[in-house]
Amino acid sequence: MSRYLQVVLTGIWLLASAVMAQERIPLTVTAALDRDMAAPLLDAFARAHPDIELIYEDVSTQAADQRARTTDPPPDVVISSAMPWQMALVNEGLAQPLHSQAARNWPAWAQWRNEVFGFTFEPVVTVFRLELARHMLPPGTHADLHTLLSGQRALLKGRVTTYGPASSGIGQMLFQQDARYSPRFWDLVAAMGAVDVSLENSTRAMLAGLTEGRYWLGYNLLGSYAIAWARRHPELIVRIPQDYALVMMRMAFIHRDAPNPAAARRFMNFVLGPEGQRVLAGDTPLFSVLPEVVGPYTAQRLRDQIGERLYPIPINASLLAFDDPLRRRLFMVRWRRELE
Amino acid sequence: MTARVGTLKGRLAGWLLATVGLLGTLLLVEAYTGAQRAADRAYDSQLEAASLSIAEAVQWQDGQPIVEMPAAALQILATDAQERVFYGLLTATDQPVTGNLSGALIASVRNLLADGPAYARVQSRGTPVRLYGRELMAAGWEATEPVEIWVGHTVAGRKALALELFLGTLARFVVMVLLTVLLLMLAVRMALQPLRRLRSALRSREADDVSPLNARVPGELSELVDTLNALFERQREGRNTLLRFTADASHQLKTPLAGLQSASELALQSDNPEDWRRALQTVHDSSERTSRLAGQLLSLARLGHGTGASHTRLELRELLRETVLEWAEREVARNHDVGLAALPATPCVIRGEPWALRELLANLIDNALRYTPAGSEITLALERSAQWITLSIADTGPGVSQEVLHRLHQPFERGGRQDTGGSGLGLAIVDSIARLHKATLLLRSEPGQGLWVGVRFPAEPAEVL
Repeated sequence: MSRYLQVVLTGIWLLASAVMAQERIPLTVTAALDRDMAAPLLDAFARAHPDIELIYEDVSTQAADQRARTTDPPPDVVISSAMPWQMALVNEGLAQPLHSQAARNWPAWAQWRNEVFGFTFEPVVTVFRLELARHMLPPGTHADLHTLLSGQRALLKGRVTTYGPASSGIGQMLFQQDARYSPRFWDLVAAMGAVDVSLENSTRAMLAGLTEGRYWLGYNLLGSYAIAWARRHPELIVRIPQDYALVMMRMAFIHRDAPNPAAARRFMNFVLGPEGQRVLAGDTPLFSVLPEVVGPYTAQRLRDQIGERLYPIPINASLLAFDDPLRRRLFMVRWRRELE
Repeated sequence: MTARVGTLKGRLAGWLLATVGLLGTLLLVEAYTGAQRAADRAYDSQLEAASLSIAEAVQWQDGQPIVEMPAAALQILATDAQERVFYGLLTATDQPVTGNLSGALIASVRNLLADGPAYARVQSRGTPVRLYGRELMAAGWEATEPVEIWVGHTVAGRKALALELFLGTLARFVVMVLLTVLLLMLAVRMALQPLRRLRSALRSREADDVSPLNARVPGELSELVDTLNALFERQREGRNTLLRFTADASHQLKTPLAGLQSASELALQSDNPEDWRRALQTVHDSSERTSRLAGQLLSLARLGHGTGASHTRLELRELLRETVLEWAEREVARNHDVGLAALPATPCVIRGEPWALRELLANLIDNALRYTPAGSEITLALERSAQWITLSIADTGPGVSQEVLHRLHQPFERGGRQDTGGSGLGLAIVDSIARLHKATLLLRSEPGQGLWVGVRFPAEPAEVL
């Protein structure tokens, strides 16, 4: 009996080493998602699929868009937080559908055409320094923020930061969403203009400025980065707006001309499947979308805390409107007018 | 033996299949195109709604049309089927205002707009796209110029809807066909019930039962039943005739045999050789008559089975002349004046059996000789018309009355005469042979004026033999 078992085990070991010895399948993932943020997810994938050699390109949203359109061969999987751009790519037919158990199980509101999937759930937050709280009541809502900016103009002058919509795709999208929900957003823009708001390109830059003390208040930061940052920097407070909170989702799709579509499908199935989502919920502040996943960072838990005030940016054709060149131009015209 | 050509059920099934197949194909083709039209209508209205929504947002500013692209318009355009969406706005001077449609694509279809709003189906990077375009007259402070609005989307939703509608129709059609087949099978069973009844009625009949069928059948089968009854009727008649003939024949044979018996008995009781000789003479005469009678019965029976298949073309003048000459020289004709009327100049050709015709002539002449007194004239003649050739024999004998005239051709009918040596089979044989040649037996007579017997043959085309 034990001899028999020994033979079987030896066979399995030989088979496994033969598989290991084989050449690993390369898989290129081009992502506008910081590597250190995504590291737990990527490590888990590497452990689960040792035969795939993951090449992770951490790039900006513009670069991700550009590479998806022009590089040859294109990346296998494209991940980006610039939701309208991702949507435009898919609408142009640059994605291929994913038919799998994980895809079928994925919530309908977080996917489009079975081609592009929003796999994170990142609330957009307000971040302030503790100093701010010493001088005034920190803002809980957009209206509070407007009142604060108007009332404490002298104190806050030059100490407020937000995304520059001209240079940041995410920033412009967030502001467009804000403008969509309330016409009073433009009053807020005017108030930010009155305190000489500093426009940054990324959440990371804003967080750096806050940590250095250059800024006291940051508006519309990506919660995922902010939460991770604030854990190491206790002088910063992250607050999810109480009236409404936008939720941004990283969108991922398999490129139509992916050189390794099978590996790409395995990556997507991992990310969308319970394993990947559990990593997102437990080890990253990217938040899991799946309602059945349990962990500190889940959409379900956020909903339980914030309630119905979470407004995920919808993944559907309406996103394309925010990529409309004329609409963007008109937005920028209005932005500049209000800011002055 | 009846040849079996499939079954009624098979035929009905075949026709049903053909009908259902043909109608079904037409119906399904119609259903398919109809489904596509319906799907197109449903989705085209979405295109129109999206176009309208975009048109609502068009404004003029600084001499330029501007539009804050409504997110809802794009969502309407995408529909529930999550189509990929395309849109484009152009000014009257072909300047693109905004959109994601390539200029080349619009250029290829924009001439359609000359006659108002238009639909078009184009290919965008290998994917079929349905486009809808319209011109909008937008009023502004500075300018009033038309703006072209093009919207479009991929066609997966239309295809899916059309397929769904078509499959629905198909399913209903299949159910209907199955139901029809079921009902028709029942109907065929019901319809064939009388036929089965008729079959069992026929099967349970006794072999010699020739009474009419007594079955309740629908109209279509009544003709068959009538035909069968007519057949039974003819069989009954035939059988009766046969029975009568057999009885008559036995009777006829019995008479000479009885004569033979009594003559031989008388001779046996006598010791006189003179009586023996007379008795032997009687026996000889009687047996000769009996033998002739048997011969006639035989030929009558044989004629009854004739088919006319072995008929050949033959010339009647020749046959008549030969036969008459032969008879005129015979012993039996020495007391009569047997003659031949002038024959037609042209050949008289009919189709027939030479031996049968000779038999016919022989019987006619023999009859005339037997039933007329000595010294009577017997004249044979041949007449021809366009269609008919009539062979006739006339005598100057006593003739027969009108009542017996039409029974003369029946077997053992002697025209009320018992004084002759005839059997009464002569004219019956003549009648049989005539019928075998599709000829008609004609009889004319006035009592005291003699008898005229004619056989009218259909003439063959008078071609050179």
